Amino acid sequence: MKPHQHLIAAATLGLLPLAAQAAVSPDALVGPIAEYKLYVLDNLEQFVDHTEKFTAAVEAGDLHNAQALYAPTRVYYERIEPIAELFADLDASIDAREDDYEQGVKDPDFTGFHRIEYGLFHEHSTEDLNAYAERLMSDVNELDHRVQDLTFPPETVVGGAAALMEEVAATKVSGEEDRYSRTDLWDFQANIDGAREIFTLFKPLAAQEDADFVKRVDDNFDDVETTLATYRVDADDPDAGFESYDEVNKNDRRALAGPVTVLAEDLSTLRGLLGLN
Amino acid sequence: MDRRHFLRHAGLSGLGLGLAGLCPGQVHAQLQTRTQAPTHRGQEVTSAPLTQDAQLAYPFHGRHQQGIVTPRQATGMVVAFDVLARDRDDLEKLLKILTARITFLTRGGEYPQRDPRYPPPDSGILGPSVPPDGLTVTLALGDSLFDERYGLADARPRHLQRMTGFPNDALDAARCHGDLALQFCANTADTHYHALRDIIKHTPGLLMVRWKQEGTVPLLPPAPGDVEGSARNFLGFRDGSANPSIEDEALMDALVWIGEAHDEPAWARGGSYMAVRIIRNFVERWDRTPLHEQESIFGRRKMSGAPLSGSREQDIPDYASDPEGRITPLDAHIRLANPRTPETENNRILRRPFNYSNGVERNGQLDMGLLFICFQADLDAGFISVQKRLNGEPLEEYIKPVGGGYFFVLPGAIDDRDFLGRRLLEATA
Repeated sequence: MKPHQHLIAAATLGLLPLAAQAAVSPDALVGPIAEYKLYVLDNLEQFVDHTEKFTAAVEAGDLHNAQALYAPTRVYYERIEPIAELFADLDASIDAREDDYEQGVKDPDFTGFHRIEYGLFHEHSTEDLNAYAERLMSDVNELDHRVQDLTFPPETVVGGAAALMEEVAATKVSGEEDRYSRTDLWDFQANIDGAREIFTLFKPLAAQEDADFVKRVDDNFDDVETTLATYRVDADDPDAGFESYDEVNKNDRRALAGPVTVLAEDLSTLRGLLGLN
Repeated sequence: MDRRHFLRHAGLSGLGLGLAGLCPGQVHAQLQTRTQAPTHRGQEVTSAPLTQDAQLAYPFHGRHQQGIVTPRQATGMVVAFDVLARDRDDLEKLLKILTARITFLTRGGEYPQRDPRYPPPDSGILGPSVPPDGLTVTLALGDSLFDERYGLADARPRHLQRMTGFPNDALDAARCHGDLALQFCANTADTHYHALRDIIKHTPGLLMVRWKQEGTVPLLPPAPGDVEGSARNFLGFRDGSANPSIEDEALMDALVWIGEAHDEPAWARGGSYMAVRIIRNFVERWDRTPLHEQESIFGRRKMSGAPLSGSREQDIPDYASDPEGRITPLDAHIRLANPRTPETENNRILRRPFNYSNGVERNGQLDMGLLFICFQADLDAGFISVQKRLNGEPLEEYIKPVGGGYFFVLPGAIDDRDFLGRRLLEATA
């Protein structure tokens, strides 16, 4: 098989199964969902920890350190967005962008990471950011608190892989998520991490239903990650992160957009494949 | 002339073949409808649309693609794409998928049922049974597709080039060019939104939308008396009056279709060049301009469409007896565009534009204008030569081209085994 033939197979939608086999019993989903909850809780713990350091740097007026901690902190949120987004109030105050507000960056309701990003990377200052930092920390603690007691709905977990790919297709490929810091590739990779985690947990079940589908999804994930890897600052150190989104050339934007769209289409069928409503 | 006669003469060959997807009763009903349609004069490509028959199906297969000498439908849309295909095999798959989708969409029909736990195969915006609704989808390729990616460079049509700005242009990069363009035309706008969404859903990883522009032309319902005439643009003038007649096949072969006489690669025969321009009109300013000046700028009467030297829209402007431009100014739009001289005859183009209305500019003025589309067998002799003559025309004060691109319309697919672009791929294999 030629290296990229897998990308296209999804295009022949007419060949996809008309009826879900529904051979997957609901009990079979329990284990992967429990494992996914552990993944979310692990990331949440890290998220709280990193947010503490990030907000402390902002409040201490340490611009350089605050800038450096911005992207690595967000990663933990971007990975678990399908769950975090269940709490719409917190998602808005933690992760909304200025486009979400009529008054834009001046809107009094605009808070959270991207408001702080505006200060750190556009104004190049920590001035007047203390209130936003405090609010962010308390929102993140509240999120942590709420998720601890949450029962994870199977549809949300399985559908989360597709939801993350929609995030990527809507705001990451265009490079509009982190418009001041240009750290979009960190978020891009984190969304992929989160989607791939879900896919990997349910892969054995999906493979029983459609092995070609599983292979194609894995290959497209590989393609995206291979392209992203060329923009890592240090190939041997994942923590070193990514170059600015401005560095991504036109050909690579295309090379990312292709498999991302196929993943969004394919993963939109994962719930059906596993017999979930 | 009746509509059946027109269809036969407009190069819409293979009528029976193209309607094969319909039951015999439907075909019969359609032809009945056509013969009963108004017959005041031949329907030209820019005549105001007369009917909105949802079961009207233009045959997809043929030597040429549809949407060129097809009488203009009431709505149109041009969508330009970046091609994401990673190699020639991917590109071939893309062209086959597009051919299959266009075949289905222009014929109409039903989608297969799917387990409701999956996303449905169709957007559903036209209901359970998709009517053809006069849809045509015309596939054309941009100059950039002939770069190093797919090995097509040696087969590039001779006049295909990247659009460059003319002096009055203010091109917006986000609304220019593209590897591939689709022109959708149908009776109703929802039909081409449906078609576009179907195509996007079938081509993940292969196509990415770059820009799109839609437009309309006013429907002119059959009525006794005044049904003649080209549709009006948003400056209030009839647009397309001097178009070459689509009923003159020899003229179409000379001006629109690439044939043996044109110095082009053999694979390109049956194709054509499509020039697309998004031309904003400053309508508030235009509406504050005296009628006499508007008519001098165009060289035609606003209401009748008659040239200033004549009395009816179809009258041929008389420039020979007006060498100093006392009746029709020398820089009038129609006089510059088509000076009616023997040496400018081969510059004639087939215009097939739509009017667009996009919203409001920051200054509170309306963003309205013309989605200009024209077809020609030679892009340099056609649109580019005409536009060069128009550079500096008085109309420029009221218009501003902001986007568009040049594309090569592929020859048609002749039957179910053929696909759009097959001969190009074979020529470069």
